[in-house]
Amino acid sequence: MRNFIGKALCIAKKDARIYYFKPQIFGFGILIPAFVYLAFSLGREIPPDLLVPGLAGMVSLFGASSVEAISIAMEKQTETYELLQTAPVSTAGIVFGKSLAGSAFGIVLSLFTALGSALLTQSRIMSPLLFVIGVVLGSFAFSALGILIAAAIRDMPTVNISLTALRLPMIFIGGVFTPIGVLAPGLRLISYLTPLTYMVDALREAMVGPTVSLVIDLIALAAWFAILQALAAIVLKRRT
Amino acid sequence: METVIQVSGLRKRYGDVIAVHDVSFEVGRGEIFGLLGPNGAGKTTTIRMLTGLTKPTSGTAIVAGRNCVRESLAVKQRIGVVSEVSNLYNEMSAWDNLMFIGELYGVDKSTRSARSKELLEAFQLFERRQDRLGTYSKGMKRRVRIAAALVHNPEVLFLDEPTSGLDVQSSRLIRLIVRELNRKGTTVFLTTHYIEEADELCNRVAIIREGRIIAEDSPEKLKASLQDERILEIAFNKDVPGLEASLRANGSVVDVSRQGDRYHIHTTNASVVVKEVAHLASLNDLEIVSINTKQPSLEDVFVKYTGLDTVQLERLELLGTAKIGARRGA
Repeated sequence: MRNFIGKALCIAKKDARIYYFKPQIFGFGILIPAFVYLAFSLGREIPPDLLVPGLAGMVSLFGASSVEAISIAMEKQTETYELLQTAPVSTAGIVFGKSLAGSAFGIVLSLFTALGSALLTQSRIMSPLLFVIGVVLGSFAFSALGILIAAAIRDMPTVNISLTALRLPMIFIGGVFTPIGVLAPGLRLISYLTPLTYMVDALREAMVGPTVSLVIDLIALAAWFAILQALAAIVLKRRT
Repeated sequence: METVIQVSGLRKRYGDVIAVHDVSFEVGRGEIFGLLGPNGAGKTTTIRMLTGLTKPTSGTAIVAGRNCVRESLAVKQRIGVVSEVSNLYNEMSAWDNLMFIGELYGVDKSTRSARSKELLEAFQLFERRQDRLGTYSKGMKRRVRIAAALVHNPEVLFLDEPTSGLDVQSSRLIRLIVRELNRKGTTVFLTTHYIEEADELCNRVAIIREGRIIAEDSPEKLKASLQDERILEIAFNKDVPGLEASLRANGSVVDVSRQGDRYHIHTTNASVVVKEVAHLASLNDLEIVSINTKQPSLEDVFVKYTGLDTVQLERLELLGTAKIGARRGA
């Protein structure tokens, strides 16, 4: 286990160093969510208890999923992924290491966004620890989602397009700008099939204090992470 | 001699295509073993199965005492792999690449630091160790790639086309280092389409064609297997149409090929053919510029077993270089 985590950390450090400052990460991980936010918030009054969790969730989704999707796509293209495959580290170890790098990026961006928006709107987060746990689990799940998409698709442009096509609808049905309660019953049902819904709900609950619903949301996010991580490892092993 | 690589009935099937067909061979500790074959013969698939990158359809491969399928991580810990492409991180320096690989193989910090220094000095790259790899030439990148495969001091080094597309200086340095590593006890398994390289480096070679090993022995023994054949190399002062056909008409002539301005005549009876050549020269008013008897080379062995002629062989070498160049450029 120590060996597994040690090698995963080694991969995560390398990915952070190489990919955090790539222009694609800035574009797909930061600029797109910023534009989406501006497009939906300008001229609208969004209550702080909706704004802070929604923004934190959206930034985590874009940031965490972009880093590793781009890293996997680039490494498959330059064949540096083969370098990892020839090393004594399992595919699960590679995926976990990459998840660490992607989620760390998403966590930092998301927490800064949450802090900034909470200060601007003068909101209070009643359960800050559970809020952070929600951000961590959500970012891990989104990072694994990015790896899964990049593992299944061969080239970089298709990876970026597919990921954006998946993330935008998640924002609309995940409670980022509109509470899930006001969605049509069919859409509400679909919204429970995306990890973003559980993350935004968990952060919203953490703002008012610890609740049963919050615990369920955190368990759901952990399950999403485990499932996406396992799927990413299986697909990556088959496709490379 | 202790066996380090033991391959038995190894097969790889992709759909209806069998890329490697029940291949079996052994490599002893301290050997340099070469796998020779044209493009698409199954060299890379074989090396991928031995290094745990591809799962065989059937058969077994034991490398450094471990099963390549059931104990693939243990195998990977004991081997170094250099693929056809210099696949290191261009964004990092040579030093950082080596330190990263060392950490991935579980080498402690002080050992990997000392080992990286030693390797970069041996590969004449220590002065540029802090430069980004993206600024290196093709030959320098290949040297760093080989150094990276050696940071954890592997028992067996797998080299896939190690000098393909490189300049003469880099190729010579790499060959020198491979020999030196082998002298210190590292077993080397290499694939190459440069036959001279295999002849120069390998203790034993196997020739693979269409996924099957069709010959396997030391280069000298393989050459000796063609000893009943002699090669006469003849150059005339001018070209005469139909001369090649006239030479082929002689019953003692096995094959005739053109290499530049020379004819290579493969024969089982050199003296009869020399008389015939002299007769043809006189008949066609030709002057013999030079005449030599050559021993069969490993290239002749390769040509005989793979059925490729000299022109195809040259094209194969060009293709190999172009393929690697294109992949590196990607």
